[in-house]
Amino acid sequence: MNLNPFWSMSTNTGRKRSDGEEQSGEQQQQRASPARPSFGKKQLPSIPKNAVPITKPASPAATAQLANGTHASYGPFYLEYSLLAEFTLVIKQKLPGIYVQPSYKSALMWFGVIFIRHGLYQDGVFKFTVYIPDNYPDGECPRVVFDIPVFHPLVDPVSGELDVRRAFTKWRRNHNHIWQVLMYARTVFYKINTMEPLNPEAAVLYDKDVQLFKSKVIDSVKLCNSHLFDQPKMDDPYAISFSSWNPAIHDEAKERMFSHKRRPEDHHKGLQVSGLSWVKPGSTQPFSKDDNPPLS
Amino acid sequence: MMASMVANGNRDGRQGEALVLKGVDPETCMIVFKNHWAQVVKILEKHDPLRSNTSSNMASAVQNYVEHMLFLLMEEDAGQAGAMGPILEFVVMENVMERLFLWSLRRQFTDDMKLEQLKMYEMIVGQARQPLLHHKPVLRPLMMLLSSCSGTAGPEVEAELVSLLNQLCCVLAKDQSVLELFFHTSEDQGAANFLIFSLLIPFIHREGLVGQQARDALLLIMSLSAENQRVAQHIAENTYFCPVLATGLSGLYSSLPTKLEVPGEEWHCLHREDWLQMPTLVQFLNSLEFCNAVIQVAHPSIRDQLVSYIYNGFLVPVLAPALHKLTLEEVMTTTAYLDLFVRSVSEPILLQTFLSFILLHRHENVHILDTLVSRINTPFQLGTVSLALFQTLIGLYCEDVMLQLILRYLIPCNHMMLSQRRVVKERDFYSVSAAKILALTPSCCSPEHSPPPLRQLDSILWSKGTDNKTEESFLEEDGSGYSCVIGSEIYLDVNYLHYLYNARLGISSCTRACQVWSAPYDGEDPPPEEYQPSALEEAGARGRQAQTVNPKRSHPHPRPRPPCPPQTTDPAPTNQLELEWDDSYDAGPVVPPEAATAESSRPPQPPAAEPPKHIQEMRRTAIMLVKGSYIEESDFQDDVMVYDLVAKKDEDHFKVSSLQEKDEVPLSNGLSLPPHPTNMEVNSLEVTKGSKEVKAHVADHNSNLQSPLATEVGDDLMDQYEELIRTLGSDEAGTGGSSHVKTVDKEFRNPVVTPMEEDEVDFSSFSVDTPELEKQHSSLFGTKLRSGSTRSHSVPFTGPFVSVLLSRLENMLDNSLHVNLLLTGILAQLAAYPQPLLQSFLLNTNMVFQPSVRSLYQVLASLKNQIEQQASTKKDFPELITSAQHCLLARESSLKGQDTNSGDSRECSPLEAGRMMKSSPPPQPKTISLARTEVFATVLFTEFLKELAAIAQEHSILSHVPMEE
Repeated sequence: MNLNPFWSMSTNTGRKRSDGEEQSGEQQQQRASPARPSFGKKQLPSIPKNAVPITKPASPAATAQLANGTHASYGPFYLEYSLLAEFTLVIKQKLPGIYVQPSYKSALMWFGVIFIRHGLYQDGVFKFTVYIPDNYPDGECPRVVFDIPVFHPLVDPVSGELDVRRAFTKWRRNHNHIWQVLMYARTVFYKINTMEPLNPEAAVLYDKDVQLFKSKVIDSVKLCNSHLFDQPKMDDPYAISFSSWNPAIHDEAKERMFSHKRRPEDHHKGLQVSGLSWVKPGSTQPFSKDDNPPLS
Repeated sequence: MMASMVANGNRDGRQGEALVLKGVDPETCMIVFKNHWAQVVKILEKHDPLRSNTSSNMASAVQNYVEHMLFLLMEEDAGQAGAMGPILEFVVMENVMERLFLWSLRRQFTDDMKLEQLKMYEMIVGQARQPLLHHKPVLRPLMMLLSSCSGTAGPEVEAELVSLLNQLCCVLAKDQSVLELFFHTSEDQGAANFLIFSLLIPFIHREGLVGQQARDALLLIMSLSAENQRVAQHIAENTYFCPVLATGLSGLYSSLPTKLEVPGEEWHCLHREDWLQMPTLVQFLNSLEFCNAVIQVAHPSIRDQLVSYIYNGFLVPVLAPALHKLTLEEVMTTTAYLDLFVRSVSEPILLQTFLSFILLHRHENVHILDTLVSRINTPFQLGTVSLALFQTLIGLYCEDVMLQLILRYLIPCNHMMLSQRRVVKERDFYSVSAAKILALTPSCCSPEHSPPPLRQLDSILWSKGTDNKTEESFLEEDGSGYSCVIGSEIYLDVNYLHYLYNARLGISSCTRACQVWSAPYDGEDPPPEEYQPSALEEAGARGRQAQTVNPKRSHPHPRPRPPCPPQTTDPAPTNQLELEWDDSYDAGPVVPPEAATAESSRPPQPPAAEPPKHIQEMRRTAIMLVKGSYIEESDFQDDVMVYDLVAKKDEDHFKVSSLQEKDEVPLSNGLSLPPHPTNMEVNSLEVTKGSKEVKAHVADHNSNLQSPLATEVGDDLMDQYEELIRTLGSDEAGTGGSSHVKTVDKEFRNPVVTPMEEDEVDFSSFSVDTPELEKQHSSLFGTKLRSGSTRSHSVPFTGPFVSVLLSRLENMLDNSLHVNLLLTGILAQLAAYPQPLLQSFLLNTNMVFQPSVRSLYQVLASLKNQIEQQASTKKDFPELITSAQHCLLARESSLKGQDTNSGDSRECSPLEAGRMMKSSPPPQPKTISLARTEVFATVLFTEFLKELAAIAQEHSILSHVPMEE
């Protein structure tokens, strides 16, 4: 695995940011990141796949979007940054109980986990993967696939895919964002919808025999949780993997996280601030602060 | 002789002595000491040097005894619980030191003897085992000695004096209790005085080791002042420390070359290598650095005073006129100096002083800032150097700078359509702006059409490293059934990655720096409604009165003005200076012509008010200083003379009642003191100045950017500074250190002595330039900016700085390579600022601006058209492009080599750093002349588009995430 696709540069940075988010208080652990060349300006990045065209052709939609004169070679950069922007937006939303992180290999694949804190699916911990179409944002809506098919009317009992499209019949750029998809994935566990189900059995049971439905859900949750510590389905360094609590490893991380959370301001104080300002807040006059030494 | 003893008093000698003394009991030592003293006293009483010639035999006998006595004193341990040892007690009781000093004073007090005594004290202060300075009978003769050594002493004595002073300051820094004694001892002499400090002042600006030692010692006292109110108060109120420091800057500045020998057309700022070659500049920077250090450690009262003197004693009277000299070269040189100074200063308060001068000060009623901005547009090197200065300023991440340069024009949001205000903060999710910017890439540079050499090289490099295996491993991820591969194109722009990386670095550091700013400038805060042009003016009127200015800027006939201190600017004689840019592109808030008080959007300043009392007082003392040599009230020098004359043995306090007679007393250094300047004299000074003004107006030809007035006012003060420097430097006679004084004379007399000739020469030389200047202005601003809008009310305007930058950018194809590098560098620097107002103005291609507002995107689009035209008319254009790319590549790698050598990253433009990274220069297929500016500009343009697009892309991520660590 010495190949380093060029866009992993930014997933790298995106990931760094997700660290704090993603571990808050739960016993999960990332696999150690493989050593990768630092991306410095003095050093060329490792080889992108440009010499030979990728077998999968660029989607026509992506190229079509590029107006005449725009060079297709920048297409991947736009896609990359669109996804990064989406990711930063997810972080900003602070969705309760949902953690995602882009994969090492592609910004189009995000790993996620959702913690259900109450309701029928209480205590469920479901891992999933988000697949984003490569003509994003002009294609279909992203897909959400659970690692283990959860017993749910809207989750395909074979593939584990969640029916997202019903909520986003037409994916509209600037209006639809990936955090909404994640939000939707969370909502389905709290408000059960049985219309046009992907899992008709679950739908029928929910409508006809809630008790049996409940017990099936409990079984499903148990099943999912029993596989929690399994190796991730995808062989990717940034796939989310869980391990049992190990004080030697986790205590320190937890400590750090909590102390950081409590006093974020102090965190900034230590920084060397190089900027200058003598403008009094509320004024637009230069040197309007009162503590300016008199010059004349 | 004692000197020889001291000279041999190195470690070995001392240890030998110490060994000898080790076994001896203190009582024996005491007896020996007393015996010696008895012998000495006998000689002293028999041989009064005033009456009889003391034989050298007697003198050396005394020295012999003293030598032994001092060793005994030094080696004596303190008594129980810090009490004096018996020898020290005896020294104090018998007043040994003072009697010895007086005796030698009454002999011929030659430099050699001073040297001896200084060394003696240096030895006992440094090596005694018990504190000696706590005792007045030791301290006072020391003080007398010190004061007697100031003045005419030769270089050796000076060096020794400063060395001893430095040592005393170290003692002070460690043991503040001594400090009180230093003050009290002085009080005995008639006035509060801090002799050690005063003695050091004349050495502040000295070069070499002596100056360094003196500055170090002064810094020790400065940090002492931060804790000790009394020291601070004394320095601020009773000494000329601050004025000497500030006026010294003026003096040193005047010895700098007025015209730099510029190595080449490409040169635009003073690098370290440059100024290291210029001793005068090194000396100036040393003093500036010292000011910086003083401001850093000193008590706020000293700090504020110093800053004020630097402003009023250096920046306003010296640098401002220098920035308005007559020839382009001189002005360019001054600009380069100013840039260097701003880069050299690190202490925020001092930096603020410089910035406040640049941003707010008006010289002849025109803001320095406006003058500097307008000079960006001169086609000469002055334009380039000015650009470099602004690059420095923008790189400070200073809110005040950005506010004055750009933001104040953007805050009202008048430059955009009303409906667009909500767009200001909007985020560009899909890199639309980046795509639009990159779509401007000229077809001749398009990667699809003809891959530039860079990319070819990269491809070769990659194909070496790429093999089919990795190809497979890359694709096998499809095992899950879902593709995770982004479609990739054939020519992937690798160097775009570098731009992204640099953009990320640039934006992050800028964002972090701007956390200290007062407002986000996002179109809501500050609220646009409150800062509409009219409101702005009021705000300006309410604002701090920074400088004294004449509010009637456009008044054709300046009113007679009340006498004002020499530092203030004079009324502009004409509208000339405003023409420089106001009429052409200041379309800011406009008031009906009859009001005519605020033609520009700059807030009018209240009329010149009399400066506060304490400032006047300071000026008075400053003048007093420059009129005479450095003499404080009740200087110790006088005490010594009194001593000398009276020569009384008794230790009663001398009452120096003759302070007032000081004026007539000839000083030992040969200078006679001028009478203290009185207020009357200050007034007369102003009267003469006033008459000069009148003459100047009469003589004003109204035909040039410069008026003779500027130099005259400056020279008035300059004369005084000169004088100060001469008197300060006169001590150096014989050391060759006063050479700069002569240059002061030469350089600064020049414009005054021969005003007529000067006029002729410079006017003619300038008249060659002027038409071009005007042509430039009219072609760049006049027509384009004023098109369609004849200064109607509230014509949207994004400020002169943006206008000038865009104008120069629009001329990109004709600009030389280095001008374009600077220009694009500055614009990229601006684009990296996170403030949504700035970001949306520069980078948001979707934003709809008012028709009269020119955006960066428009200029870029027009450049693309120009380039396409060129490309279509010139057959060999693609070939030339390739050559230029190679040439730039070679330049880049050679620059990089230099960069790693000098290790000075600050002077490498950030633009260049990211541009065209490649480790080795490719073979040049064909040389291309740098005169083909349009070809180089085309290559640069393409790269600039990438740079801007990368910044836009990074903004879409970084600016919307709370700062991480």
